[in-house]
Amino acid sequence: MTPVSTAFRRFHWLNGLWPWLCAASVALSLLMLGALLSLLLVRGLGHFWPATLEEITLRSGDTFAGHAVREVALPQQAGDERLYFTGNRDIEGARWRWVAIDEIAERTQPVDLIRLERSPWGDFIGRLVALEQPDQRFEGDAAWQRLTALLALPANQRQDSQLQLATADGQTVRQPLANVISAQAPNAMSWWQKTGAWSEAVWLFLSEGPRAANTSGGVWPAIFGTVLMVILMSVIVTPFGVLAAIYLNEIAHQGRLTRFVRVGVRNLAGVPSIVYGVFGLGVFVYGIGGSLDTWFFSDTLPSPTFGTGGLLWASLTLALLTLPVVIVATEEGLARIPDAQREGAVALGATRLEMLTRIVLPTAAPAMLTGVILAVARAAGEVAPLMLVGVAKLAPQMPLDDEFPYLHLERKFMHLGYHLFDTAFHGEDVQAAIPLVYATALLLVLIVLGLNLTAIFLRHYLRRQRGNEC
Amino acid sequence: MIPPRLTSTRQPLRQLQDRIATGLITAGGLVVLLAILAIGVFLLWETLPLLAMGDTLALAKLSPLAWGTLKAALAALLFAVPVALGAAIYSAMFMSPRLRSRIKPALEMMEAIPGVVVGFIAGLILAPWVERHLASAMVLILWLPLSAALAGLLWQWAQTRLRGRLSFSWAGVWLVPWLVLMVAIALWLTPWIEQQLLGGDLRQLLDQRFGIDYATRNALIVGIAMGFAVIPGIYSLADDALADVPSSLVEGAQALGASRWQALWKVALKAAGPGVFSAVMIGAGRAVGETMIVLMASGNTALFSASPFEGMRSMAAAIAIELPEASPGGQTYHLLILAALVLFIFTFLVNTLAEVVRQRLRRRYNQMEATS
Repeated sequence: MTPVSTAFRRFHWLNGLWPWLCAASVALSLLMLGALLSLLLVRGLGHFWPATLEEITLRSGDTFAGHAVREVALPQQAGDERLYFTGNRDIEGARWRWVAIDEIAERTQPVDLIRLERSPWGDFIGRLVALEQPDQRFEGDAAWQRLTALLALPANQRQDSQLQLATADGQTVRQPLANVISAQAPNAMSWWQKTGAWSEAVWLFLSEGPRAANTSGGVWPAIFGTVLMVILMSVIVTPFGVLAAIYLNEIAHQGRLTRFVRVGVRNLAGVPSIVYGVFGLGVFVYGIGGSLDTWFFSDTLPSPTFGTGGLLWASLTLALLTLPVVIVATEEGLARIPDAQREGAVALGATRLEMLTRIVLPTAAPAMLTGVILAVARAAGEVAPLMLVGVAKLAPQMPLDDEFPYLHLERKFMHLGYHLFDTAFHGEDVQAAIPLVYATALLLVLIVLGLNLTAIFLRHYLRRQRGNEC
Repeated sequence: MIPPRLTSTRQPLRQLQDRIATGLITAGGLVVLLAILAIGVFLLWETLPLLAMGDTLALAKLSPLAWGTLKAALAALLFAVPVALGAAIYSAMFMSPRLRSRIKPALEMMEAIPGVVVGFIAGLILAPWVERHLASAMVLILWLPLSAALAGLLWQWAQTRLRGRLSFSWAGVWLVPWLVLMVAIALWLTPWIEQQLLGGDLRQLLDQRFGIDYATRNALIVGIAMGFAVIPGIYSLADDALADVPSSLVEGAQALGASRWQALWKVALKAAGPGVFSAVMIGAGRAVGETMIVLMASGNTALFSASPFEGMRSMAAAIAIELPEASPGGQTYHLLILAALVLFIFTFLVNTLAEVVRQRLRRRYNQMEATS
């Protein structure tokens, strides 16, 4: 016996540990997935919860108001420092303040602290002293009640008013009501009221456009752009994908060439999405779009109409990208139909078209649907090719409006994934934008996972049903 | 049911309809196939002008990008391959079938998480955290496998009653809280140990004593983030390959006295080897072409550096950033299209190879099952 194998014997019990490493890999993957999802859930949804405002007095005597964001260890010395969001950019020049915890003398949570969302200048945190109208002046509690009543009205029916505000350190400022979007006194709110405010904030996030360089407001145009693009894409990809699958599976001679083509189609699913983006830019935008411009829109040249990225080109590119997904899924469905059914139909005198439309396609329909859903899920999460073929940071006009021809295929559009990328990496105040980025990421993940789950259940259901039949 | 008799005048019409439909489907199918073919042709056509320009600048400009691509892919595979293969081995050979039917779709869901989301978490959340807690991150990488082994040892010494309750075939799930606990312990202890042993921050130490630069967004971060994105693909295919190994093989080995692990290591893994290989190849293809994660987590600096603590710029990321600004017909434009062509050819070859290997393997299994 060689010494190696005796050594191997001696540590034989170590061999029993390998399966544990394998089990831990599963656990680690689950842990990472769970951590990612819960991080998105907690941060994405938690941002909309009205944060408790604090009034901080430092040992130096300085006072300010804000809400605590996070704590990190101080560099080079013991102790922690805390980041506060203080708002009031017009007064203090900055919206954030780092404070070493040791320097805090007192933290209180006065109920009269309010938070105003304004445009321009972003949030104000401080106290409401008075509300002045041309004929009347409200002070204290009456002012707050009057303010909430005014803000409940639509913007054009609000009376002209001036707010007299005081910051925590006693500076007073005047603020026209016209620039105020919403007001909140989170410290005075009950848990129930906070829940209400939270759901309202979530709704506004889903239904409004971005404001203040993406640091507040919502993502509605991005949702709209994503959905519109995905719908257009499915309209394009479904017929072509199904046609190609039927051709490959039912009509083409099943020889070496067909097998080759099938492997090729399957492999296109593995080609990086950015390559499709390059193809879309070169062929659709510069090639076809450029020609369309010279033929039909020469009066607006050199500013391009179709010769630049737009909704149509993005949908076409993504349709090409998701084509293999649809083809593969449909083919799977077609292959699972027993040949006896086809032969039976033909034996009864049906032509091939009749056999296809009455027997094969209805049975394969759920498989096609699965393919389209998977394609939509892939397209909704794809960003890289869109950066080349027509996504915009901020689209001034929606691609669908009441102006003829209603659907503007040449316009640029906003996309959730790109909005996320742009806000997180090109924003001017990334710190302020991160909570909204979390919320956007959560939304995107929910959409994509929801679509995928639908496809999985559909496929599962389909297999079970087919299993009973055979 | 008696089919309705058709008048003879409708018969030719039906035949005609059938012809037309067949023609249309054929045309549609061929158009799709041609469109797919067009991608390759277009990329080749657009890189031809580079030959005409005929200078060596192309190589000089593309090589750092190629290096960055390889580095990022390698970092991702270093993390993903062990984890994904381990998970595949466990779920195909040890996990209870009921659990497997739940866990597998859950892990495959991981693949659906969009690259931007992973990139955002990696670039803006993970990267600053690792920068501040470099020592903890390094300790975790060693500590996680150790704590798994520790769980194994404890379990083997534990009483039979406990073993019955925490069966190994469910270990993939109940190890999750154990790992959470271990991570918490590591995070709690490391700063203290770091202070005692190194007398300060590991990052400063690296910089002062060894002169190693640390970029916030680096290959380590890309490796973890892209590894996360690549794991499910490798896992799913490798798991399929292992589960498809005819059970007579493994059972035969066990009947001859091999332990489950020996049967797996010496028989099943050898039989499924090509399938596992093709899974890794497909993972590599995905890692090479992934754009958003590298774009967001790598810092995008076109450097020639092998250090895991420095950034890189990959071909896919360079295309995404530079191509919209490159004027069509210019040199940069053609260069970037060359990069796209390289990506296309590489992933296409890798995937074809993997597919061929897999088909051959499936045929072999079928033969094996037929003969047994």
